[in-house]
This record gives sequence, structure tokens and C-alpha cells, in this order.
Amino acid sequence: MPRRLIAAAIGAICTITSSASQAGAADKVRISALSDVSFGIVTNFAADSVRSQSLCLYAKSPPLDQYRITASGSGPGGSFELSSGSDNLPYEVQWNDVAGQSGGTPLVANQPLTGQQSAASIDDCSKGAPTSASLLVVLRSAAVAAASSGTYTGTLTLLVAPE
Amino acid sequence: MRGFLKEGVLFACCALAVASPSFAATQGSLGTTSTGTVGISATVPGRVEISGLSDIAFGTVDPAAAAASAENVCVWSNTSGKGYTVTATGSGASNAFSLSDGTNSLAYAVEWAGTAGQSTGTALVSGTALGGLSSTATNPGCSSGPASTASLIVKMTAANLQAAVASSYTGTLTLVVAPQ
Repeated sequence: MPRRLIAAAIGAICTITSSASQAGAADKVRISALSDVSFGIVTNFAADSVRSQSLCLYAKSPPLDQYRITASGSGPGGSFELSSGSDNLPYEVQWNDVAGQSGGTPLVANQPLTGQQSAASIDDCSKGAPTSASLLVVLRSAAVAAASSGTYTGTLTLLVAPE
Repeated sequence: MRGFLKEGVLFACCALAVASPSFAATQGSLGTTSTGTVGISATVPGRVEISGLSDIAFGTVDPAAAAASAENVCVWSNTSGKGYTVTATGSGASNAFSLSDGTNSLAYAVEWAGTAGQSTGTALVSGTALGGLSSTATNPGCSSGPASTASLIVKMTAANLQAAVASSYTGTLTLVVAPQ
């Protein structure tokens, strides 16, 4: 193979590798079918409380349709904390790029989890599988036992971007 | 004369009557980025726990002098002020603080102090809650932080000992704590 042709081939490979990790202008994402998370009255102080939900995560970013997700809570600095007046209750967030899961990768507040892949074929999941990812919120028993009695609330924000 | 008390470890609770917070999750739109939000709520009910209790054995007591026994216990409360009430009842007639040998009885008194290491406290009336107490426990069972947070004191007066028939007396003291 002539040296110029080899160089061109290497360049093509590099181009493909680059496109897999950088979003193009036409790449699109959408997160939807989210539901509020209510733990209700936490009566068991000896076990962790977990709420999971399946949602629609659409990512059109050829060739792998990958995305990154960044979560932030309403605690100080975006931390995952619920509040009740001046009292706080920390929680954990996990993400799984497959729907219907009971476990996932722990998210760190404000830090993107990369390399996630969507199986959704349409942006609102109205065709194919109705959901394509799992969101889990965990209240650790130690955190509950250490918290003052009260009703705690907070907001979790999820930001998705193509890769 | 031998007096012997047993105490039960009790757990009391009361749930908060609260309305569920209203949230509305927001859905992301299709774009180069997409953002959604989820409201999260949880209610932690008021809880208390008493632990670290030990049986009280006075052994053979001399009726010529009063007898007393004090022990440190752990009371944990998760209310904002870590407050609690304590209510004691005995196994005597009408929940009286008295021991029995099956026929005869021997009265005793119960005191409670809101800090550990005390030999005197506030006298308890059977079935009547003593409030205004606050715990320094940081978790149930005092597994970390202070090992004990309150004092339970049981006393028998010389007069009551002298009035009692020589025998072995036993009874049960029940303590109920509740969030406050």
C-alpha cells in the first residue's frame, strides 16, 4: 500500500474515533417521563430506602448514541440533600442506562457520568420500549437515623448531553 | 431481705401527621442538551429509644439504712430538640412502685435524671409522664457519641424496709419514653 494511502486510512480511523467521543451539531438528546420521588414516612430506620424509576432517555449521537448525564441536588453547591427548615437529609443517586434496574452507577453531584448509551428510537419513547434508563434515589439508614424528625424536600436536576 | 427489679427495654414512637409535599417533575425537551427535574420528599417520623437498661439487685439490705441503686441508660430522640418524656409504672397494685414476695409488698421510689452519672433525680409518679427532658444521644443505642444520656435511680427508704416482712421481693419496673 502506498504510504500516502496508509496515511489517509489512519486519518479516517482517527476521525471515526473522535466522532465517538465528541458531540456533533446535529446530535440531540432528551430526558423525559420523569416522576417525582416520594419516600413517604420512613418507618424502617435499620434499612436503606430506595426508590427507582424507569424513564425515557433519547440520544441521537451517531454512531453509538452515547450521552453523559450530570445530576445536581438542591443542597449547598448542588449536593444531594433534602431539607426541612435548617435540618438536612443527604441522599444518593444512581444511574443505569437500562430501564427497570434496581441498581446503577453512583452519581457524584455536578460531575458527569459519561459513556452512557441509549436504546430509545424516538425522542419521547412513543415507539419501541417506553423507557430506556433507570434513576435510583437512595436514603441510607444511617442518614435517616441521624436526621431530626420532619418532612424533607428537595429537587434533583438531571442534565443530559450527547457524546 | 432481698429486693430485685427487672426493667423492660421499651420503644415508643409517634408518627408525624404531615401532608405530602406537592411537586411536579419537569420533562426535558429535545435539543443539544436536555434538562429534567424531579422533586424528592421524605418524612422522618418522631422516634425514641431507651436502651442500656440493667436489672437492679439490691441483694441483702439492712433495714437500718435506706438503700439506693443508680444506673446509666441511653435515651435517643430524633425530634428537633431531642426531647422526650418518660413514664414509669411498677408491678404493684395499680402499677404502684412496689416489690412483692407473693404475699407481702415493699414500696420503692423511682427518680429520673436527664444526664448520666447522677445519684438523684426528679421523682417519678407511676403512670405520669415526666417531660422537658432532652437527650444528647447522637444515634439509637448510643453506639457512638455519649454511651449513656440519663440516670435511673431506685430507692427504698429505711422506714419501708423496716416495715417489710423479712423475705425476698421482686418486681418489674416498666419505662416508656416518647418523643417530645
